[in-house]
Amino acid sequence: MRIEVAYAKPYEQALLSLELAEGATAEAAILASGILQRFPEIDLQKNAVGIFGKLCKLEQPLRAGDRVEIYRPLLADPKEARRIRAAKHSSVFNIKELLDSRL
Amino acid sequence: MLAFLLLCAIFACFGLILGYSSILFKVDADPLVDKIDALLPQTQCGQCNYPGCRPYAVAIAKGEVGINQCPPGGEDGVKALAELLGVEAIPLNAELGLEKPKSVALIDENKCIGCTLCIQACPVDAILGAPKFMHTVIVSECTGCELCLPPCPVDCIAMETITENTAFSISDSYLIAGEKGQNIQLQSF
Repeated sequence: MRIEVAYAKPYEQALLSLELAEGATAEAAILASGILQRFPEIDLQKNAVGIFGKLCKLEQPLRAGDRVEIYRPLLADPKEARRIRAAKHSSVFNIKELLDSRL
Repeated sequence: MLAFLLLCAIFACFGLILGYSSILFKVDADPLVDKIDALLPQTQCGQCNYPGCRPYAVAIAKGEVGINQCPPGGEDGVKALAELLGVEAIPLNAELGLEKPKSVALIDENKCIGCTLCIQACPVDAILGAPKFMHTVIVSECTGCELCLPPCPVDCIAMETITENTAFSISDSYLIAGEKGQNIQLQSF
């Protein structure tokens, strides 16, 4: 069966297409693709993997057409980002209030 | 009993008529649609007001719509379509958008919160990522359709024009061996 293995950084990505025996796992696909040699920073114990945007285990058996993806962690903290966004909105609101009270 | 047999006979007749007519009136996939589709840029951006390039190709083949509704295809695209269909080339419909240089989406890693909204919006699976993990555009897959820009809640996606100096336009592809001794092409940019 034909599957793909992918890993991406902003300015360097690998999208590999390979032929594997039926029932091969996500881990087998990653090892067979040679992507670990190309990107030594990938650590399968640390980097999460998934198929088309959905996290899966390394033991996940694949189906034809799957794209096995290796993910990198976020740099921004989503909660912190939300707090900053909320603060921005409330400051706009405060200015409005201030203007209203002056009028 | 007679009624049952009669019904069976009638159904059998219908079956035969249907089966025969499906052979007699068989319609092949329209080869013109394939030819038109091949000339379209496959951005799947929907600027033509059809859900993708193929539906637009079908509409052109039916004569429902003009050949000037594809901004990414540009004037050259209109000319190519006009030549194929044997009609006059007309100027691009500016209401739908302007012809822009080829560009791709680039995600600001410092802002991405891993929400997956851009992944859901991408018509060509060009964004790699999962919930609460970094999202990254696979440049070789990105058609520059800009459909990922509006859903991003943190405005972390920008379009980068591809030029000869763009870092990722320098492609260095090489071959590595896969299982069963097959060669796999590795593309990196």
